[in-house]
Amino acid sequence: MDRLDRHALVMAIWCPASFLALALLHHGVTSGGGRWIAAGFVPILGAFVGHVIVNAVLKTEFTAGETALGAGAYALALVGLLLTALLGTKELVAAIFLPAGIGLAALLSAVIIYLVIRFGPRGAFERFEVVRDNNPRPASRLPHRGGRR
Amino acid sequence: MTPLLIGVLALLALYGLYFAARVARAGGNPAAFLDAGQSLPGWAIMFLLPGLAFAGLGVERHLGLVARFGLQASHVAVGLVLVAAAAMMVWNRLWLVTRLAGLATPAEALGRYYDSIAFRVAMMSLALLFALPYAADILSATARLFETATGGVIPRAAGIWFFALALAIPAIIGGWRATVLVLAMQALLMALLLPGVTLFTEITAAGAGYPNQPIAVADGVFWDRIPGVLQNAAGIGKSVPPGGIFPAVGIASSVVALLGLVLNPATLYLGQGARAGRSFGIASVWLTGGLAAGILLLSAPVLASRMPGGLVPLSENLFDIAPFVGVGLLLLTLTGGLLAVSFFVTGGTLLLTRDLVLTYLLPRLDARAQRLAARIGLGFAFFAVALMAAFAPFASAVLASVALPLAVQMLPAFLGVCFLPWVSRGAVLAGMAWGILIVLFTEPLGLILFEALFVELPWGRWPLTIHSALWGLVFNLALVGLASAASHKAPDRPGRDRLHRAIAATLHTAPKGGRGLLWSLLLLWGFLAYGPGAILGNTFFSEPIFTARSATLGIPSLWVWQLLFWLLGAVLVWWLAYRVGFGRTSEEGIKPIVLGLQAPRRTPDWLAAGLARVAQRPALGASRRAKNGAATPRRAGGKGG
Repeated sequence: MDRLDRHALVMAIWCPASFLALALLHHGVTSGGGRWIAAGFVPILGAFVGHVIVNAVLKTEFTAGETALGAGAYALALVGLLLTALLGTKELVAAIFLPAGIGLAALLSAVIIYLVIRFGPRGAFERFEVVRDNNPRPASRLPHRGGRR
Repeated sequence: MTPLLIGVLALLALYGLYFAARVARAGGNPAAFLDAGQSLPGWAIMFLLPGLAFAGLGVERHLGLVARFGLQASHVAVGLVLVAAAAMMVWNRLWLVTRLAGLATPAEALGRYYDSIAFRVAMMSLALLFALPYAADILSATARLFETATGGVIPRAAGIWFFALALAIPAIIGGWRATVLVLAMQALLMALLLPGVTLFTEITAAGAGYPNQPIAVADGVFWDRIPGVLQNAAGIGKSVPPGGIFPAVGIASSVVALLGLVLNPATLYLGQGARAGRSFGIASVWLTGGLAAGILLLSAPVLASRMPGGLVPLSENLFDIAPFVGVGLLLLTLTGGLLAVSFFVTGGTLLLTRDLVLTYLLPRLDARAQRLAARIGLGFAFFAVALMAAFAPFASAVLASVALPLAVQMLPAFLGVCFLPWVSRGAVLAGMAWGILIVLFTEPLGLILFEALFVELPWGRWPLTIHSALWGLVFNLALVGLASAASHKAPDRPGRDRLHRAIAATLHTAPKGGRGLLWSLLLLWGFLAYGPGAILGNTFFSEPIFTARSATLGIPSLWVWQLLFWLLGAVLVWWLAYRVGFGRTSEEGIKPIVLGLQAPRRTPDWLAAGLARVAQRPALGASRRAKNGAATPRRAGGKGG
């Protein structure tokens, strides 16, 4: 039940923030211009900070599903931005590329800052180091065999 | 706008369904369907209290009043600080009483503490009042707004049934926990939408709005000041007070009426079911007294000044600029209504199931059967509320008008349970009866009935512009004080003292310095913030009393006064929460006691006979006698038939 409560809290943070972000991004892309697109990333950043606070208070980590969803959505947004830059009209690209790029960079920075603060520079790097972690034998996790967990 | 609005509402309904299914699939004790195992997460309470304050105040209603009466109507939002303080104090002590004496519902707490079945009946009636007419009135208003917003595509009646179905299914599947988890998200959505939509409106609107331009109100209404301390008016329906309906005492009495949001059975039940921790403090200090009150005080006049034509025209204008923002404004008001309906219907029905069905009608049900009973009850309740909203909106509105003021009349009873052992049963009953009568005769329900049956009364609704809640509470408290003084050594006093000794032993609070100062400051704050002293705010900052000169602020003096006393009030609630200790609950040191008589676990014979007649099975008494060889079908089935 605790996992469900945490899931509900995370959803309660992300759903309203997503609606706000969607409203601002939509307005920015259709007519508002760059500042509205940039503003659209603020609720997303806020929700991410809220999610990190939830993890800190409840002593939990991002679940595998959350990480996959976040990475997938980010990759999708990045691909969308690149495709727009390649295929979109000049006006559209001029209007959205810079603010959306800055917004995505800000999100990436927030994630990196979180990882560095939470795990330290080396620990943050090791989160992505999967090659060393491909030996299923328990002995491989001993420090003198290279395992650090 | 209609497809987008319907799409967003459908997503909200799916969200409810998703969490209801997750809660149901998580399994656990079936009895937890009714009370979430008394372990509701603290964060849900934190978000839900300000959401209930928004919903109880009524976002659309509040914005409409501010658009019509200006800052005098907006001043009522300062009262959310008082609501926050009251919620924290009553929840804190009731939570402790629940753990100490095993009193699972507000009705049981009052019934066992005062050893009187009258309190159980009163609380059950109140739960029913909130669950049916009060919720039906809100549902009807919500569906009416939806009909207007969709340009009549979804008629009011259809909207009512759609909403009722969308709220009923998650409640029936997931019970109390799922309802609270879903509503907490909706509360957060409202808290983000109100400032977000206000900011967007101001940035994109053409021309200056409030505070550079006055709020467009009718001639003679003071938009930027409180129209006196008291208005000599016979009441709504009899005479129209000049200057506006919110003089200082009118504001104070409206704030007192808001206490009904805290003292109604469902909200008290919510507090009883919270996990131990700091959630009450955070909910009250930061999110309700701080954030919700501040957002309303800052946003409502700004947004109201942009909606002289009403909410829907403003949302249509916003939709033309940014579709999601236009829908967001409607979503803000619709969500407020749906939150209140879902909360009061689900909470009230679960309470009635526990206090009536499982205590008196079917006391021997196992946990699974209890859950089934609650689910059937929820189905009936949502059907009944939709029926009332669709086909009896006037009756619902008349009955709903007394819900909050009647809940306020329970204040002395809860003061007795939580703080004051000298408050006696007879005193509370007498005061409550007086208070209820006075509320009924200062609200449409009593006025319409009396004037139709007998003679025209010289007063209307809220005479002297004082809300019925305050009229009732003044007489109620006076009678409780006098009667308690006379029954100081009543025979039931030792029982009451036991609970208060147990509370004191659990809290083992040493008297700290500064309590006198705190209560003095609270009284002074109340007097100046929303009491008669609030009148000083009209000109205090624009025409200071210590100089002959005038100050040019650029904003109304009353607005500065409201914001100042909102901040001071939040500091006082912080003091109550963190210095006095009301903001925190703990399971440590709780030694359970047995209080009063246990709840009867036997169906009264007359109820058993009635049930038997409906269910076509022998009544309990009859079956017992049949076991003993006596033939008694005539008594069991024939007495009432």
